Amino acid sequence: MEAISLRDGIPQKMAEKIYPMFQPFNEPTERIACIRADIQKTPYSICLERPLLIRQFRNSLNGKKAKSEHPLIRRAMMLSHILSNRVPRIYDNEFIIGNMTSKRVAANYYPEGGSVNIMEDLFRLKKRQVPIHLSFKETVQLGVIGVCTALSSVGGKALLRPGRVSHFLDFFRARRYFITEEAGIGHQVGNYRDVVENGLCRADHIAKACLDTGKLADGTFLSADQEAFFTSVRITIDGIKTMANHLSNAAEKEALKPGTDKIRKKELLNAANALRHVPYNPSRTFLEGLQACWLVHVAMNMEDFEQGMSFGRLDQILYPLYRKGIDDGSLAPETAVEMLASFQLKTCETMPIYSERIDQYFSGNGVAQGITIGGTDMLGNDVTNELSGLVLDAYSQIKTREPALHVRVHSGMPAWFLKKAVETVQLGCGKPSFFGDRAVVNALQEAGMSEAHARDYAVIGCVEMASQGRTYNSSDACLFNLPLCLELALNQGYSFMGNTVFKKRIGAATPPADAMIIFDNVVKAFKLQVAHAVDEMAKIISWLEKCYRIERPTPVNSILTEGCLEKGMDVTWGGGLYDLTSIQAAGLADTGDSLFALKKLVFDDGRFTLSDLAGILKNNFKGYEPLRQELVNRFPRYGNGHPDVDRMTQLAADVFSDAIRSHRNTRGGRYVPGIYSMTCHIGFGRQTGALPNGRLAGERLSNGLSPIDGSERNGPTAVLRSAAFLNSRKWSNCCALNIKFDKKTVQGKAGNQALSSMLRTYFDQGGMQVQVNVLDADMLREAKKDPSLYPGLVVRVAGYCAYFNDLQTDVQDEIIERTVHGIK
Amino acid sequence: MTPSIFSIQHFCLQDGPGIRSMIFFKGCPLRCTWCQNPESWYAGPEVAFKSHLCIGCNLCMDNCPEQAIFRPGHRDPSRCTRCFSCVDHCPSRALEGFGKSYSIASIRDILRPEYPFYRDSGGGITFSGGEPSLYMNFIERLSGVLKEDGISITLETCGDFDPGIFYKRKKMPIGVIDDMPEPTNLCRPGFLKDVDLVLFDIKLVDDLRHRQFCGKGNTRIQTNLSNLATLAKIGGGPRVWPRMPVIPNITDTVDNLSGWADYLLKSGVFYLTLVPYHNLGSLKRIWLNITDGPVIPALKTEELEKTVQILTDYGISCFSPGEEDWQLSDR
Repeated sequence: MEAISLRDGIPQKMAEKIYPMFQPFNEPTERIACIRADIQKTPYSICLERPLLIRQFRNSLNGKKAKSEHPLIRRAMMLSHILSNRVPRIYDNEFIIGNMTSKRVAANYYPEGGSVNIMEDLFRLKKRQVPIHLSFKETVQLGVIGVCTALSSVGGKALLRPGRVSHFLDFFRARRYFITEEAGIGHQVGNYRDVVENGLCRADHIAKACLDTGKLADGTFLSADQEAFFTSVRITIDGIKTMANHLSNAAEKEALKPGTDKIRKKELLNAANALRHVPYNPSRTFLEGLQACWLVHVAMNMEDFEQGMSFGRLDQILYPLYRKGIDDGSLAPETAVEMLASFQLKTCETMPIYSERIDQYFSGNGVAQGITIGGTDMLGNDVTNELSGLVLDAYSQIKTREPALHVRVHSGMPAWFLKKAVETVQLGCGKPSFFGDRAVVNALQEAGMSEAHARDYAVIGCVEMASQGRTYNSSDACLFNLPLCLELALNQGYSFMGNTVFKKRIGAATPPADAMIIFDNVVKAFKLQVAHAVDEMAKIISWLEKCYRIERPTPVNSILTEGCLEKGMDVTWGGGLYDLTSIQAAGLADTGDSLFALKKLVFDDGRFTLSDLAGILKNNFKGYEPLRQELVNRFPRYGNGHPDVDRMTQLAADVFSDAIRSHRNTRGGRYVPGIYSMTCHIGFGRQTGALPNGRLAGERLSNGLSPIDGSERNGPTAVLRSAAFLNSRKWSNCCALNIKFDKKTVQGKAGNQALSSMLRTYFDQGGMQVQVNVLDADMLREAKKDPSLYPGLVVRVAGYCAYFNDLQTDVQDEIIERTVHGIK
Repeated sequence: MTPSIFSIQHFCLQDGPGIRSMIFFKGCPLRCTWCQNPESWYAGPEVAFKSHLCIGCNLCMDNCPEQAIFRPGHRDPSRCTRCFSCVDHCPSRALEGFGKSYSIASIRDILRPEYPFYRDSGGGITFSGGEPSLYMNFIERLSGVLKEDGISITLETCGDFDPGIFYKRKKMPIGVIDDMPEPTNLCRPGFLKDVDLVLFDIKLVDDLRHRQFCGKGNTRIQTNLSNLATLAKIGGGPRVWPRMPVIPNITDTVDNLSGWADYLLKSGVFYLTLVPYHNLGSLKRIWLNITDGPVIPALKTEELEKTVQILTDYGISCFSPGEEDWQLSDR
């Protein structure tokens, strides 16, 4: 009859013995609070420095010369120009130096793709729900840049060509799929371990040696492409070095400014010294390690685009330097926390550019710079350390939208760490999210990774997967509208929605409803529709991939990815050790529930013929409200631990996974599925007709792996049971399951124990991922009414967190409505 | 008596340690004015109507075998046999049936998938109600089955059951020495045989006021409480943990609080869970067509704080539900 089980009790005491500084550092120091306040009060903006530097480069002598160079070299020269000509900016109080944009909080503009959609809002930037502040001059500049570069973006080059216009329209309408790769690939966990331990000089020396000898390390002679690659590596590293030097000079100048505080002066001079050393050379101290990671991260952001650029397992990478600092007395744990907090606050300086139209698919202004903590080494032994805890402590001091924190859960995880992670969740910011090592490692092996490499996984962005520093995963290549394929299967490839006279078929020509006489016919038609959509989608992605090789190769990324320097190939050319393209499904629960309802109504109970049902759906349940209510209220739904529906959900997931996994990308890599939807389930929902599970046309779809809102009637444990029931082996790009609690339900020590137990049990049963939102519905309603009340209120939207005020009204509504599990 | 059960809920954190599932039995000997679960009063099945969910499809009328429904939401109780046909046909869940009977095996099937959550968290099953002690035989058998699965069991009671069961002894074969510990001659009631914790609800210490607000005197309740406490002390029964609803101006009066404090300390219990009053129950009264009880104002934080203060001064440790320190040992 004791609440504390052995599992909680014993390791706890051991932990306290092993980790003497178990005390949390939850209170922000003054300087951290100052930086946070500075960032919070700065309005959002767009930084035009990057596109202006690109234009400057194109018009310069160097730029003209570059035109005749190999595409890899051309790109490296441009990148190097950007990096070495950015104006360095030093902000007050910061430990970590290196500005992400030319403003305090702003989005970088990427003319290559991903940013041009802001043109849709150009004339009402300040009137948007999330206003963007630009001066009149900058607005004009933005307009000019947008117009001049719109057609030269990768998406434009790949799609605006004769014969591809219908695909372009398809892409633009975003009905069956939303190809996010058009904006950029981004999404990477680079080899920051290498950056910290060896510095960029290792890559530089390899490139130099290969160029000098004209051979690869294994003795193969270099081709022209490989030569160009190594040259591009050297040019890029040179650019990063110059950027570091400029920052170093700026720090020195700031330090020598009259009136600088003595302590601050010393700090700045130290930083200046560090910046002359890293990231080119191996880091010598903890702070240098952080600084090196940050500068390389900035370079990654300058190179491709901002989404999902992640740091990987920072607690592992930096631990040797931390230990060294603690042992020789040069570093105190509380200083380390302060440095980590300053580092995490740096990640808040950036945001993406989304027009309000795109915002319905990716609401929340998150870029998800992931930090993964905890987990095992390559042999499967637990490697949680003090730093893992300190990363959480640092976050609990700042409670901001970025970075994304991810905790790996496995059976050998110390109890104190899970407790601490849950304490952070209880703060109500939706962080960290949790990943089950067993399921994830299985799924990564299924994608072709060795067990050891799979165990060294880190999370990209929100939930996506990579073996850190070894993987080139276009992890957010495309989002896929799975329920729409079921709709098309019931209507010979036509949508239920829209114009009925001049209708264009958007899917495959599957048989009419009255020709499908057994349930297997429906499943087959559904499979065909999914396969058809995936084929079309993969075709568009292949065009983009071809364009990326020429227009947007990524040398920084290649330096940070194992395999590239060995093969002499850029990642966009297939240099990465593991190469993946990942496609995400939205509306999985809707599809599973619909398949179940359809089978029961038509084939088991015989209440309707299939064509009758299709007719009812086409009319959006008009005149059949009792039937719709029955479907919503009385039919079993996914998320209640009901094995029959869960099996149908598995069927839907398998149809999707198999269609995805049958493809290969142009780099020779695999296509892998993931089950998450950002906020695409809202955008896709508007384009999807009524479904057999009683969902009306235009309503939002289910989110990631979560059940349909309001359909979970047996509490959160049943949701977890259903989720863990599904076989996640094929989901190599992971999944996103959201559960939310009323703050009151899970407060305090008892709440912590209950949540910890719930998580442990879920992952014991084979769960893959879950994120827990602790929120107070009244608080949210108030926040919606008056955005000024809780300016810093963070909620987890899908795989990522956002400030509640940044969300569109209907996303806000959804977050309020989502089942808040409280007392009955 | 075959019990009727009106709800089985998972992931309950406030009624005993850890993650628990609750089984709510229907039927209660008391009628407390503030009761938040009026659907638990009558032991028989009942039909509730939530008018805001009704879509007016008339399926309930069409499917009533007794033609007892003349309009959705309007039912002739004298003709209604509580067959729940209308409830089963209502597509929008506007009609809800309270009180179904379950077999022991089916309850076990519902609970079994949740076992891992109980085990990891130190949780289990809580029998609540209504009043579970109305169904002693069923509880005894059900808890026996769950105990076999290694599940910890909590029982919540209002305490109003026959005190005689503490003295009923099974016939012992000749020659077997009764192992009941001295000095008392109390024995563990059969329905508490496999129960590990009893959450004992106390309300008003004064018999007359108890009659006024709960519809019945409290002599049996007080006897049962002290008997259980004595049994627990000598290790012959489940642990007893009292709980009291804090109802403004009814249970939080100084007289009542000091009266209970004395009584608890005398029984050797020095801890108490305080359940703050909320008025979610009033909606359920409307659904069940029960004329609304007296309007009780919402509990103010100061009132709760005052209550805690008074009890603490007596040396009683107060907890809010779900935050009890279950490791607290008896003095």
